[in-house]
Amino acid sequence: MAILAGVLGPFVVQSRQSIASDMFAHVALAGIGAALLVGVSPWWGALPALIIVSTMIWRLLDSGTYSPDALAMFFLSGGLAAALAFVHLARDTVFSFENYLFGSILTLTSTDVMAIVLATIAVVGVVWYVWYPLLGATQSPRYLIPFRRTPKIVQLLFFWLLAIVVWVGIKTIGGLLIGALLVIPVLTARNWASSFKQLVVLTTVVSVLSVSLGLFAALYVDLPPSSLIIGMTILAFVLQASVAAAISKRSSG
Amino acid sequence: MNKSVISVKNVTKAVGGRQLLVDVSFEIAEQSLVSLIGPNGAGKSTMVKIILGLDQQYDGSVTIRKGELVQYIPQLVMDDQYQLPMSVYEYMSIATNRLYSTNKKQVDFEQALSHVGVAGEKLHQSYTSLSGGERQRVAIARALLGDPTILVLDEPLAAVDYASRSGLYKLIRHLQQDHKMTVLLVSHDIDSVLPLSDQVLCLNQSLHTDCHPSQFTAERSQYNQTIHHHC
Repeated sequence: MAILAGVLGPFVVQSRQSIASDMFAHVALAGIGAALLVGVSPWWGALPALIIVSTMIWRLLDSGTYSPDALAMFFLSGGLAAALAFVHLARDTVFSFENYLFGSILTLTSTDVMAIVLATIAVVGVVWYVWYPLLGATQSPRYLIPFRRTPKIVQLLFFWLLAIVVWVGIKTIGGLLIGALLVIPVLTARNWASSFKQLVVLTTVVSVLSVSLGLFAALYVDLPPSSLIIGMTILAFVLQASVAAAISKRSSG
Repeated sequence: MNKSVISVKNVTKAVGGRQLLVDVSFEIAEQSLVSLIGPNGAGKSTMVKIILGLDQQYDGSVTIRKGELVQYIPQLVMDDQYQLPMSVYEYMSIATNRLYSTNKKQVDFEQALSHVGVAGEKLHQSYTSLSGGERQRVAIARALLGDPTILVLDEPLAAVDYASRSGLYKLIRHLQQDHKMTVLLVSHDIDSVLPLSDQVLCLNQSLHTDCHPSQFTAERSQYNQTIHHHC
C-alpha cells in the first residue's frame, strides 16, 4: 500500500484530484454493501463498483457539464447513502463498516496479501509503461500540446489505477485515511525534488518509512495502526517544513 | 504570391444562441508570419480550435494543405504555485511516444533546444525554475520535435519580459525564414505581435481587417476602440 500510494500520489496531487480518493472510498462502501446484499465477499464486491463508478465519473468529467467538486460531493454522499441502505437491507448485524473506514491491516489473510501484491505489481507496471502519457494527462492543460489524439484514454486509465489503489487502501489503511497517505507524502517531498521522477521516488520513500514506523509504533502504543501511520506522515511533513524553513532562513540571513 | 496552406471559408459558429464566429474567411500563405488579433471573447481561441481540428461543429470550411503538419504552442502562465516539480526533459517527453529510445530522445531534445537557443545542460534542470522567455523557447523546442510545417503560437509573448522579447522575435523569424515554416501568432496584444507580422487578421466575431501591417495603422484606432469597448 505504501508503494502504491508513493507511486500514484504525485499523479493524484498533480491532477488536482486529491478529493477523488475520498469519493472513491465512499463508492467502495456502496460496493461493499451491495456485496453483502448478494452474499459475496464485501472487499471483492467493492472492486467492480469502483471500476464502474470511476468510468462513470471519467465520462461525466469529460462532458464538461459538471464541476469536479460537485461531482465529488455527488458520489461521496451518494455512495455513503447507498452503502447504508444496502447494509440495512442485508440485515447483517455482525458486519461493521469500521474495518473498511479505518482499515484492518492486522486482519489480512494470505489471500488478501496475495491480491494486494498482484494489484501493486499491476499498478506499478502500468504506471511505468504509460509514465509520460500519464504525466501529460494529469498536468494542467496549459502544459500540454492539445494533440488531436487527446489523452482521454490515459485519463480513464488513471481513474482505474486510483480505483485499484483505493480498493487496496480500504482493506489496509482505511477508506477515510487513504487520501492522507496519497497526499501528505507528496507535500512532504515536493520541495526536495527537481523532477517528477525524483518526486515519485522521494514520495515512495516517505510513504514506506511512515507505514513501517507506524506499524512498528503500533506494537508498543495502544492506538490503531492507521492513525499511527498517518501520524508519521504528518510528523515527516512537519520535520521537512522545519528543515526547509531553517535552510531558507540561513540562506537569506 | 505563395500558395495558401490554410484556407478558411465562411466559417460561422454559434453556441447556445451566442455567435462566436460570423462568416469568417481568410487565407494564410506558406512561409508567412500572420497575426490573428482581437480582444478577449473575439473568437480567436474558437478559430484556433477549428484550425487544429479540435472543434468540428461549425458551418463553412477550413482546409489545411495536404502534407502540412500543424503544431500548437499554448499560452504560458508563470504563476502556478501548485505545479509539482518537473524537469525540462520530462516536459518535452510528454510530447513523445513510449517507444522513443532514450538515447535518441536525449540527442533530439538537445538538438531541438539548440534550435531555440537553450543550452543542452538545461535539459535536466527543473522546468519551473526557468524564466518566462526560456519556458517559451522550451515550448517551441517541444513543438519542433514533431517536425511541423505550421506553428500556431497562442499569446507567445504574454509571459515574456520586455528584455527577452527581441530574442524571441528573432527566433520566430528564424523559424519562418530558415526552417521554412508558416507561423500563426494569436494575441490580444497587437503591440507584441505587429513588429513580426507579414499579415494582420483582426477578428471580432467576424473578420474586421485582413491586411499588411503597414496598412493596419488606419484600422488601429478602430481596433483600440473595440478593445476598450470590450474591457
